[in-house]
Amino acid sequence: MIACLAIPAFELRASLRKRPSLALEPAALAPREGEEPLIGPVTAAADAAGVKPGMRMGEALATCPKLVLVEPDPASAERDWEEIVRRLEDSGFAVESAALGTAYFDTRGVERLYGGLEQALRRALAAVGSHWDARVGAATRRFAALAAANVARPGQALVVSDERTKEFLAPLPLRLLGLDERRREELEALGVKRVGQLAGLPGAAVAERLGPDGRSAWGQARGGRRGRIRGRRPAAEISEVLEFPEAVGNELTLRRALATLVDRALNRPERADRFVRKVALSARLVGGASWRRTLTFRDPAAESDRLRIALGPKLNDVPAPVIALRLELVELTEETGRQLELVRPEGVELQARLKEGLRQVKASTGGGAVASVVEVAPWSRIPEARALFVPRDD
Amino acid sequence: MVADTRSKSAVRSAGRLNEPRAALVEPQADGAPRLVNRLAVELIREEWRVVDRWWTEQPINRRYFDVVLESGQNVVVFHDDEHGRWFSQRGA
Repeated sequence: MIACLAIPAFELRASLRKRPSLALEPAALAPREGEEPLIGPVTAAADAAGVKPGMRMGEALATCPKLVLVEPDPASAERDWEEIVRRLEDSGFAVESAALGTAYFDTRGVERLYGGLEQALRRALAAVGSHWDARVGAATRRFAALAAANVARPGQALVVSDERTKEFLAPLPLRLLGLDERRREELEALGVKRVGQLAGLPGAAVAERLGPDGRSAWGQARGGRRGRIRGRRPAAEISEVLEFPEAVGNELTLRRALATLVDRALNRPERADRFVRKVALSARLVGGASWRRTLTFRDPAAESDRLRIALGPKLNDVPAPVIALRLELVELTEETGRQLELVRPEGVELQARLKEGLRQVKASTGGGAVASVVEVAPWSRIPEARALFVPRDD
Repeated sequence: MVADTRSKSAVRSAGRLNEPRAALVEPQADGAPRLVNRLAVELIREEWRVVDRWWTEQPINRRYFDVVLESGQNVVVFHDDEHGRWFSQRGA
């Protein structure tokens, strides 16, 4: 069976963890900076007041003047989701994370371990914890599992057998399908409002009228592909954080801080000479918000220059002054070796000697004794603002 | 036993380099330093004023002097007008 674990409005829930009292108030996730002013997921109180996800911000505030807009906190949301996925993995599930708040896993491998399908699903819900209001759906097909998870109540595990899949999907609304708004409205105007009605149409006619998207939605309406769940490889989780004495908005300062983080992360012994395939750069911002960008390298890299050059331009997108900057090496390669260079680059031997010298100093004086000086604002008229010292344990 | 490699995240706080230290300064009538930590000022190389962060709870209002002492040492001293005290720092 394919199981789907769903946590509706995950980003809003993650952002509300810092302000739990708002969960009972009319609140909605504010639009992200630079995006169309449409609100995100809403709380039950906001829904009861007539505010719907995707509404224009002005309209939402006019509908419910007490509505509180919660600033998105993507870094916390990703961290919370990563924690949930790991808890599932620790329970023995090979998890494929589809999006924040939605994950698939195959129950076949663990049913015997937990004594049956129902018990395995309950185990998955217990692993996530009750405060997230997670729900699980299981079916032989991926879309049916997703639909079951969306229909289930918080904390419920809903199993749809293969023979009941068609009957189960038929009365569900079209919004569950991955159709864009225009296509859905087009179908509704034609009187097709339920998944079962779409599934009943001839495939060729749907493809002709709605194109490839329509055809794929039609496939989903009939249960979707059986598909295989590809459990992810657990993330490497080598991360380095630099907290600033005061908020930094200057790009050059941030670039220098990034260079320090890159060097420190690459020097971590857990990396064990492996190459970096995927990195994430995140920041805690003034006012409690956060910012996060991920980057996957076409050619895995282990050179600090390449990482710096690739990540540097992302710092231009940081919307507010930064309190702490964090670099994560999310995914590392398995291999550690590459074709050796014929001529070793200049300075390699000196670097090695310096490293050994520092290792000996640390061995005799303890951790925190060695620090790098990072020039952050050499032009500043305030001398103590010109440079920072950053402890190094590498 | 296999070590858990997952939770190794390193958080380190960066510190300021060249933090100001309280100094014993005897000023002249115009406010420029004459003695710094009991050493006579030979030369005032530069003087500047910094008024910054007045919109925060920690405003900066300082009058800086980059001086050379009789010992040959290059020191930066400033008078903190917010607190009415003198501080010194290593010179450039």
